Amino acid sequence: MFLVTEFVTLLATNLILTQALGTSTLFIAAGNKKNLLWTAITITIFTSVGSGAAYIINVLLPDGLADLTLLFYTLIIGAIYVLLLTALYFAGSDSFETTRKYVHVSAFNCAVMGTLFTITDRADTYPELNTFISFVLSGAEAGTGFILAAFILTAAFRKLNSAKVPHSFRGFPAMLVYLGLISMAVYALR
Amino acid sequence: MKNKKTAVFDGLLGDNTVLSSLMVISPVIMCGNTLENAIALIYAFSAITFFSVVLGSFVPKKLPYAAKIIINAVIASIVYIPVKSAAGEFFPEVISRVGIYFPLLAVNSLIVVQSETKFSRMKRGSMIASLVFYILGFDAVMIVTAFVRELFAYGTIAGRLVDADTLISGLGLPFGGFIFLGLLCGLYRKLRSASGRGENKSGGDGNVSGN
Repeated sequence: MFLVTEFVTLLATNLILTQALGTSTLFIAAGNKKNLLWTAITITIFTSVGSGAAYIINVLLPDGLADLTLLFYTLIIGAIYVLLLTALYFAGSDSFETTRKYVHVSAFNCAVMGTLFTITDRADTYPELNTFISFVLSGAEAGTGFILAAFILTAAFRKLNSAKVPHSFRGFPAMLVYLGLISMAVYALR
Repeated sequence: MKNKKTAVFDGLLGDNTVLSSLMVISPVIMCGNTLENAIALIYAFSAITFFSVVLGSFVPKKLPYAAKIIINAVIASIVYIPVKSAAGEFFPEVISRVGIYFPLLAVNSLIVVQSETKFSRMKRGSMIASLVFYILGFDAVMIVTAFVRELFAYGTIAGRLVDADTLISGLGLPFGGFIFLGLLCGLYRKLRSASGRGENKSGGDGNVSGN
């Protein structure tokens, strides 16, 4: 029962299904299981580490300079981007050509930046969530939500791209309608 | 010459930012449900994207790909600051309604990725012309989406009540946005193939596959 409740919570707070964040990245990743796995892992790293750093920036940045939040978040993501690329390069320069594309795809997109802003907004509404641990956990949860949404889309990916779907609606249009239907079901859960 | 001209106009119809490439779709899905929201987002998107891509075109081409991406994102985050201040004057209510989607416009794929993979390879004059049409492509989709969704979801046009018999309230919600955009995308492709412009087999470039 606990797992079911957690699963429902993960669905109901899913950033893709409820806020359409990272939908384009999801569509690209869902076409290939290997891409999907690595993109999801990379996005989870960005959202988790980025959220922790976002907490520190929120604490340090005076209220009067709130408009600079985006700039600082961008710098954080940029720093993680460089660190991750460097780590991958030293981890295996042979596979670097393959692995670096996941970092490029995941760094600056709505899924990552949207997570930082959503968590910050949530912490403003519920002060008990305004802790470093809570930020990191929420970031990890957002990444897990991406994986979940990606698996939901992968399950129907072949059918939505099959010859049975009218040519004009095959692929992206069918996937958008499909995500809309899943989103409608999730809306009912909330 | 003819091909060059077509390429400049591509962003409006042939390679529409939203309908062909599925870029910047989250603001359209989440906030494109009233004309008021749409106009504020169009202003922000157009201003941030135009100035960021033009300023980004001065970044040295020899820099590594990741460095250029970061610099483009930083430029957009700086351009966002005055754009947001001005938006606070013109659309004070909409800003709070649009919430996180306002800053997210500054990290849209057109600025972060396309500026590097597409615009940086053009001469500055054609790049600016092409960019304007890509921006207009987004603006057109936003207006159409917001008009239809507001009319059928709330029975209003720009906040004014109209005589609409059938209301579909779900159209104003995120899932309604997904479904409507999916249908609009299919219709766009149908019209594009009917006009003989062919079809992108992958269903759009969605070109963020990294370089």
